Amino acid sequence: MQNLFAFLRRFRVFIFFSALQFLCLVLYVQFVSFPKSVYLSTASTFNGKIQSVEGKLTNHFDLEENNTALRLENAQLRKRVFTNFYRIDRAKIQVNDTAYEQSFSYIPTKIINGSVLRRNNYFTIDIGKLQGIKKNMGVISPNGVVGIVFKVGDHFSLVKSVLTQDINLDVMIGVDGPRGILKWDGFHPKTGIVTGVSSDLNIKKNTRIYTLGASGIFPKGIKLGTVISKSRVEDQALWNLEVRFSEDYRTLHSAYVVHSLIRKELQALQLEIPEDPE
Amino acid sequence: MKNIIRYALLFGLFFVLQVFVFNRLELGYGAQIFILPLYLMILPFETNVFVLMMIGFILGVSVDALSNTFGLTASSLVLFAFLRPIVFETFRPRDGYDPLKNPTASDMGLVWFLVVFGVLFSSTLLWFFILEVFRWGETLLVLRNFFLSLIASGLVISVSQFFFFNQRRKK
Repeated sequence: MQNLFAFLRRFRVFIFFSALQFLCLVLYVQFVSFPKSVYLSTASTFNGKIQSVEGKLTNHFDLEENNTALRLENAQLRKRVFTNFYRIDRAKIQVNDTAYEQSFSYIPTKIINGSVLRRNNYFTIDIGKLQGIKKNMGVISPNGVVGIVFKVGDHFSLVKSVLTQDINLDVMIGVDGPRGILKWDGFHPKTGIVTGVSSDLNIKKNTRIYTLGASGIFPKGIKLGTVISKSRVEDQALWNLEVRFSEDYRTLHSAYVVHSLIRKELQALQLEIPEDPE
Repeated sequence: MKNIIRYALLFGLFFVLQVFVFNRLELGYGAQIFILPLYLMILPFETNVFVLMMIGFILGVSVDALSNTFGLTASSLVLFAFLRPIVFETFRPRDGYDPLKNPTASDMGLVWFLVVFGVLFSSTLLWFFILEVFRWGETLLVLRNFFLSLIASGLVISVSQFFFFNQRRKK
């Protein structure tokens, strides 16, 4: 017993140090593994409030750029409004067209906090549970994909951005081109890497990368970036494509949360794929 | 008492500067300015190591909560606090430390400060980036972020030593 006390006294500093380090680890694990605990993250209401006050102060710095981006997007959307189309076959286009079912709806949101400096970067958006945000919804911006909702608070949510270690988005190279997986290597917030593309495919520089929409989180065909270079993976017949993101995550202020109306059905269906027989 | 208020105010200042200024600065190529260790460095020599680690932990967790880094900053600052007495002991002047002096560049001399703080800061920063990336395959990224951040933070901290902790010498 005496020895034990002597041991504890001797190593008390180290024991206290280890205890605190363990506590840090617990904080990390509870953040990553328990989606409901928003404390100590910017998705909590208190922290969110601080961030939105700060956002109000600093929002104006990029106002001009953001306005330009939104204007461009408006112009794009205006092109798609039905009144702009000349109806060739009038009998077919109806207001309540049952041939088309809406599969995605979009909830506009403001990004009030975010970083691009870390290995894993998260963005805070100013809507949460009360606006119907749920975990694993997609988030897109006027110029690309932002990420996937990771934690939901009452008024704020946290988005795991494209700039994280294990984002692994399904993408296609070119319109209806080969599939690949988008990753981020942490080196620069403007470039990512697409892997899993067979090297017998001829992929040209400046080919655009779009979302594949395989998991139903994002619609198919959302622009993500362009290929800027390719290199062969050692010992494998695969390309490593370097991609320049079309969105500049450093000056991102507005986004849309994607509410997928078909995701549940898609997932239920994909669960029915039979396992390989042993 | 006067000292406690002074250090409490400095705590707030470091917190605000780190969260709202330096965490927002994007220098590119992974360089970050990390000034919190300086706060733990300039606390008086006789500060108990347990108190030091607790302060580091609280400061770290508060910054983590607002930067979505979850325990990463806290863990590095606790490491800094743990190592501080050990490194101070290693670089002790021959006659021991003068209790009237503080561990700043103006009190202890630039060389002492740069060496002691350099050792502590490098280990803290390396710890931070290794924990952040936590993958063997990305050693190159850890090293790049570490060296560039070391240079950027080192510059800011050295300059701050000249401007803000220089009052004693003027007297």
